[in-house]
Amino acid sequence: MKPIVHRLVAVLLALGLCVYSLQASAAEKSFAETKVVLQISDNDPFKQTLVLNVANNLIKHYGPDQVDIEIVAFGPGLRLLFAENVNTDRIQSLVDNGVRFAACNNTVNGMSKILGEEPVLNQNAVRVSAGVVRIMDLEKQGYQLIKP
Amino acid sequence: MKIKFKQAVLTAASAAMLGAIASPAQAANWLMLQGTEPADAAKRAHVWGFIQAQWQKDTSDACKFAPCTDQYIPPKLIGPNLTSQEAFNVNRARIGVRGTGLPLDSKVNYFLLLEMGNNAITEGTGAFAKATDASITLNHIPNARVRLGLFKYPGAEEGLQAIHVFDYVNFSEVTNQLLLERVPNTDGAENENLYPPGQGGLLGDEQNGFNNGVSAFRDVGIQVFDAFKVSNWEHSYAVMYGNGNGLNLSDNDDEKDLYLYWSSERVYGGKGPFRQGLKLFAWMQDGKRSLDRTNDGVFNPEKYDRERSGLGVKYLKNAWRFTAEYMQGEGMIFVGPDKPSFDQNGTAGPAVGDGATGEASGWYLEGGWRIPNSKWELDLRYDVYNRLEGDALESEWLTTTLGANYFFNKKTRFTFNYALRDVDSIKQRDAGVAPLTPNPNNNMQTIEDRISLQVTHIF
Repeated sequence: MKPIVHRLVAVLLALGLCVYSLQASAAEKSFAETKVVLQISDNDPFKQTLVLNVANNLIKHYGPDQVDIEIVAFGPGLRLLFAENVNTDRIQSLVDNGVRFAACNNTVNGMSKILGEEPVLNQNAVRVSAGVVRIMDLEKQGYQLIKP
Repeated sequence: MKIKFKQAVLTAASAAMLGAIASPAQAANWLMLQGTEPADAAKRAHVWGFIQAQWQKDTSDACKFAPCTDQYIPPKLIGPNLTSQEAFNVNRARIGVRGTGLPLDSKVNYFLLLEMGNNAITEGTGAFAKATDASITLNHIPNARVRLGLFKYPGAEEGLQAIHVFDYVNFSEVTNQLLLERVPNTDGAENENLYPPGQGGLLGDEQNGFNNGVSAFRDVGIQVFDAFKVSNWEHSYAVMYGNGNGLNLSDNDDEKDLYLYWSSERVYGGKGPFRQGLKLFAWMQDGKRSLDRTNDGVFNPEKYDRERSGLGVKYLKNAWRFTAEYMQGEGMIFVGPDKPSFDQNGTAGPAVGDGATGEASGWYLEGGWRIPNSKWELDLRYDVYNRLEGDALESEWLTTTLGANYFFNKKTRFTFNYALRDVDSIKQRDAGVAPLTPNPNNNMQTIEDRISLQVTHIF
């Protein structure tokens, strides 16, 4: 029984840390007038390029300090945040410009069952309990949802 | 000399392989483009293909002297059918699918491509389509990806590169004759007679003595390969072990071919087949072939060595492209298209014109210039092929190809080529050597220019 409780506490602590991490990052940009949440949930590799292009274009247009961007990946779109994804360098470049990346934990669990092991995620990906819930929360905070 | 050259290629490749300590490369070269998929960004099944429709006209004259008066040899006719000097043709019509069967696992990818055009791959096979590629790549071992099945073996640039982005209609003569392997017959049928049935006959006769398609620079086997980035350079290696039996899906003997390849490229930018860079490369192939030379209707072959090696450089930056490659071979020298055979002297014995044990070498220089702010590209290629070096039937093939490409869009282009050809059996031409009968120059010196028009559409 005890090990289960320990694991549960560890998971809750980890999720709590993730939420704190995302909120802390968002707070750094709390004065940005434009807030955007980008959704990637598609299996099409072209959509991966597209969502990164959109984020990059928003930064170019508004400037990195004037736009707050979070990319939420869930479903088949989570492949974007796999550690070995071919776009890793682009993701790092966007992170360096303040873009945040959220990974749906429900999707991670589902993919783990298919793969037989948990997929290794990009070190910049912050896990959230559910990608859709994360998007809804951000919308309540004034973020505009864009689904490229 | 040839052994020293091969040793030098092997030494350079081995030293470079041992010296490469670097991280895996993300950008692709031909090995990577054809054998891998972008990590975690590939489709389950990406359907693609291309069509090439062409018209070619050969301006060669018929032989003017006995015993070949008014006859046409294969290089004067339009392939693969060799039945006319002017023809429309759908040279290539390929459709394929590639990707990762399980998109969540980028450690495994596949590549399948079928040929339905009329060319030396399909001609005479009677099949609706012929598989040119059917491979699986396992990316589990760091720095040692494993590719299995049917695919392009690592080798010369013209053979290894994707044909739908090739800048010319036809291969250089040295690539066509020395590397594009004609697989010997395995049913006892003649493939080395001086004049096989119909060969050397009147225009319209069957000219091809082989009953297999060409190898199309492919083999069935296993390849270990990868690419590594070191600063702005990308180093690639490949080691392949295969049947040495071309597109045939199984082997015809116990002999296997070994292929080694190394390239080092200073990458300037871009990606895919048009990535800009300066690439140095070297390669070699070593194997044996079973060749039946008795022409008695019974398949009783003997083993002959087949060795090929080469090195080259390719430069591509902004509007300019430049390629140079030298290659050589020993054994199984195809002595067609003068005659579709490995032995030009046929039943007279191997003393003269022995392609099965002969030697050959050649090289080409080519360049291209994309005219700025236009849809045009101008191309120029000069290639030299010395066939059966040191033999009384040694021949020299000099070809200058003037070319132009017009790009309707990124996927569709029109290609124009004008090939000026000068062919001689040089020892028969030069004084002091007793002429053979028939003198091959009666045929060769009337090989003239060829015009080619082709439209390529990729989908």
